[in-house]
Amino acid sequence: MNMPDATPAQLPANVPVVETPDLILRGYRETDFEALAAFGASERSRFVGGPMDRWASWRALLAGMGHWVLRGYGMWMVEHRETGAVAGRVGVIFNESWDEPELGWHIFDGFEGQGYAYQACLAARDHAARHMGLDGVISYIAAENARSRRLAERLGCVHERDGTLLDQPCQVWRHPKLAETAAETKGQADD
Amino acid sequence: MSLTLNIPRLETDRLILRGPEASDFEAYCAFLTDPVRAEGFGVEKNRPKAWRWFALNIGHWALHGYGYFTIEDKESGAPCGLTGIWNPEGWPEPEIGWVVFEGFEGRGIAREAATRARQWAYDDLGMTTLTSNIVPGNDRSIALAERLGARFERSYTNVEMGEDMLYRHPGPEALA
Repeated sequence: MNMPDATPAQLPANVPVVETPDLILRGYRETDFEALAAFGASERSRFVGGPMDRWASWRALLAGMGHWVLRGYGMWMVEHRETGAVAGRVGVIFNESWDEPELGWHIFDGFEGQGYAYQACLAARDHAARHMGLDGVISYIAAENARSRRLAERLGCVHERDGTLLDQPCQVWRHPKLAETAAETKGQADD
Repeated sequence: MSLTLNIPRLETDRLILRGPEASDFEAYCAFLTDPVRAEGFGVEKNRPKAWRWFALNIGHWALHGYGYFTIEDKESGAPCGLTGIWNPEGWPEPEIGWVVFEGFEGRGIAREAATRARQWAYDDLGMTTLTSNIVPGNDRSIALAERLGARFERSYTNVEMGEDMLYRHPGPEALA
């Protein structure tokens, strides 16, 4: 017997939209919940605090929205342009106890292996550097998460140090700054 | 960039009910990580988890248009508790909840704030009924629910709290 909601506040519309050839990075919607819950329940979420039950996924969704309000940035939902399906999440996370803002990503079942994480990370990183004052951020990566380490390398990150996140050992990878990626791209173009 | 929510600001004689602000976090954290005081509300294990709850309450406002207000003591300006409407995934229906922080008990703050929040839910959100979910043994909250006119309806299993008692508040017509 759930009551109809009051007019929702204006948050989802305020999250900037970032577009790539295949993807649309946008704010959270309530209709994203089933995809988030399915991801949370799956083994794929083991490097981001899962697997978790629906209740925990719901909390994660709401906390993700609140993060945008508290920090002025956060994680986007990654929408697959062609199908309209949600393909994952990407964005900058700075929860309490994080050393500094972190670029994080996860791709949902069925959307891996197509370069979407790379595409989404580049777009999110570029937007964060240009518009949010977040240039040269870190990514926390579990040592055993070989797939994410490979992506970090492809993104031009370097393994800066070993640290901890929420009392768990974790590698800290550093992303290149905007100026460095621009120089690199130029260098390649000149070759 | 800045993202803000249109959370209303409500007043009573002694209190202001307003949206949570970043500077409220220390007061929320002290309460949420206190295993005794937060037992009937949901204890958070540590500061990072308390921050997550702080953020998720703001997300609740964003998604539903309601959530927990910070109760501010007009005289001192201090955050002195929480009250509001809560309806996360797995909840039986929207409930009105209240909490008073350490040092502010015994002054009728919860009653004054919850009465105003309930009126807001009926008048401004258009809700037609409200419940309060109270864990067995939380006699203080049961006493306040009864003083607010709520009556025990049934027991059920809450997704977060386990065994829980559902109290039903008088509706808008009964309070008019």
